[in-house]
Amino acid sequence: MIRARDVVKEYEDGEGSRVRVLDGVSLDVEAGDFVAVVGASGSGKSTLLHLLGGLDVHYKGEVEVGGVKLTGLRDTDLARFRNTHVGFVFQSFHLIPNLSALENVLLPSHFGPVTADARKRASSLLERVGLGPKQDRAPVRLSGGERQRVAIARALFGGPRLLLCDEPTGNLDAATGAGVIQLFQELHKEGLTVLAVTHEERMSAVARRVLRLKDARLVEESATTAARVSGGAP
Amino acid sequence: MRLDALSRLVRLSLARERKGAFFSAFGVAMGVGALVFFVGLGLGVGSVIRERIFPTDSRLVDVVPPSVSLGLLGGGKLDTSAVERLRALPGVETTYRKMNVRVPAVTRYDGTFFGSRLRMGMEVLAVGVDPGLVQKDVGLAEAKDFKDPGEGKAIPALISTRLLELYNKTFAPARKLPQLSAEMLIGFGFPVEFNRSYVAATSGGPSTTQQAQVVGASDRAMLAGITIPLETAVRINRAAGADADNYSGVTLVASDPSRVSELVEAVKGMGFEIDDQERRLAENAGAAVTLTTSALALLSILICVLAAVNIAHAMSSSVRARAKEIGVMQAVGASRADVRSIVLAEAAVVGVLGGAAGTAAALLLAFAVDRLATGYLPNFPFKPDSFFAFPWTVVLGGVLLGLVAALAGAYFPSRRAAATDPARTLAG
Repeated sequence: MIRARDVVKEYEDGEGSRVRVLDGVSLDVEAGDFVAVVGASGSGKSTLLHLLGGLDVHYKGEVEVGGVKLTGLRDTDLARFRNTHVGFVFQSFHLIPNLSALENVLLPSHFGPVTADARKRASSLLERVGLGPKQDRAPVRLSGGERQRVAIARALFGGPRLLLCDEPTGNLDAATGAGVIQLFQELHKEGLTVLAVTHEERMSAVARRVLRLKDARLVEESATTAARVSGGAP
Repeated sequence: MRLDALSRLVRLSLARERKGAFFSAFGVAMGVGALVFFVGLGLGVGSVIRERIFPTDSRLVDVVPPSVSLGLLGGGKLDTSAVERLRALPGVETTYRKMNVRVPAVTRYDGTFFGSRLRMGMEVLAVGVDPGLVQKDVGLAEAKDFKDPGEGKAIPALISTRLLELYNKTFAPARKLPQLSAEMLIGFGFPVEFNRSYVAATSGGPSTTQQAQVVGASDRAMLAGITIPLETAVRINRAAGADADNYSGVTLVASDPSRVSELVEAVKGMGFEIDDQERRLAENAGAAVTLTTSALALLSILICVLAAVNIAHAMSSSVRARAKEIGVMQAVGASRADVRSIVLAEAAVVGVLGGAAGTAAALLLAFAVDRLATGYLPNFPFKPDSFFAFPWTVVLGGVLLGLVAALAGAYFPSRRAAATDPARTLAG
């Protein structure tokens, strides 16, 4: 599902010097896997997620996701890839406030191919995440956990095989976070590949693999599958 | 990006930012409205000048004999052979001859004039013209051919439409005389006594009185006098012993307006002069109107530019405020082109609505001005029913200008929006 080779990513800090956040990272994730990426704040976890999801194209190395080679892809092709191949779930939910839950889930349909039953599909996804009765509510009238469920439904709208989650329980209380984690487990059992950047121990506990980003390098903490990780592993 | 999806996103966005959108559209409406109003005013007043005050035909060239004849050295008489040579010039479609009645004439009227008692005596100037020049303006059934009726019969006479306008707007109200239309005057008869003058010396021979009968009104008729058939003028001049062989002028009709300047040069080369006094007056008045309109239009365009700057400012703020939203759209599949399209489409809606509102406001204001002018302005000569002219191109142009101003304003903000880095805006 994911194949990354020798990925290097640098930022320019406020004082003009270059900071390398990913230093020759290579990664393989098989389809149907559940991977948690852990690491200290600012270690480059989110950056790695953005590279894998085609949100960030300014890097060196090669990234291939779902058979699509992202490196050097044109903007329109990259946009189509994000629309159909991956789903993003963010810590801050990033719902559009003046749209209802249903309209937020429908958002990807505006940028994808015409589907006659888009509204029906969005509605059934909201049912799937347990928000059927609240689909016409604006995000402001939903709890944090409900908002995250809407965001998950939106991420699933394009029928992706890969879910990329950036601290999905970071803004939720323990009980609500547990519910969201359970939802991810269910989705994983249904065959979805999940890669989550997280601080949440319970999230990494349910993952089949845990990778740690340390000193700009990726290290396997526990491997329960036959995944291969390289790039600075001791 | 599909049009229905774009339309939905734009609708949602404008609904959320309706206050900013309203002020942006208002700015566009002000600029477009002012421009459409002033252009409509310029076109309306220009049209009155061209069509009513100084009616000119761009294909006509009025040839007159030289004011100073140098005999064999150049300059000559406008006799029959000269007219033939003029007609033979390349680019001339046809010619119409004119001959002034070269003996003085007066009219004395003492009778009922459309319900009023009128006693009047005045000098009469008359010019004879080839019937073709004014044939379409002849309205009296018996005078359809506008030809010399012969000795002892009423002379068909055309009066100037401009003279009629001046009479109606100045003379008639001052003397409490009735307002007249060309149709009312048709058939009106009055005596003309030739070889007699109140102010100038005559040849000394006997005077003759003939009846003249109004057969119509024409833009091409003499302003201060009557226009009669050419053969009648020739007959009167001949009878009075005046020059009946040389014409006072010849009107050339060019086959195409583009050939007029070439004809003018050829005519001058033959030693004749061009009587372009009317055309010059029309051009000068038209130029004054154009200049004023242009200055006001420039001011209006400046307002449109300011509206575009306002839109640029509003859009820039909006794009900054919506950076996360734009990032989300990119995360779920929006390309840079999609983002740019959304911002430009929002501006386009604002521009079209502003342009349409401004144009509508200009039309309403023009209507109100016309109504006020009808009610409150004195009835001066050539006062039009409307001071404005709004051809469809001006109306459509107003809406398009709104669109262009808004798109110009949104250009850089749309580029900035498209350059949004989703990885940065969605982090955290």
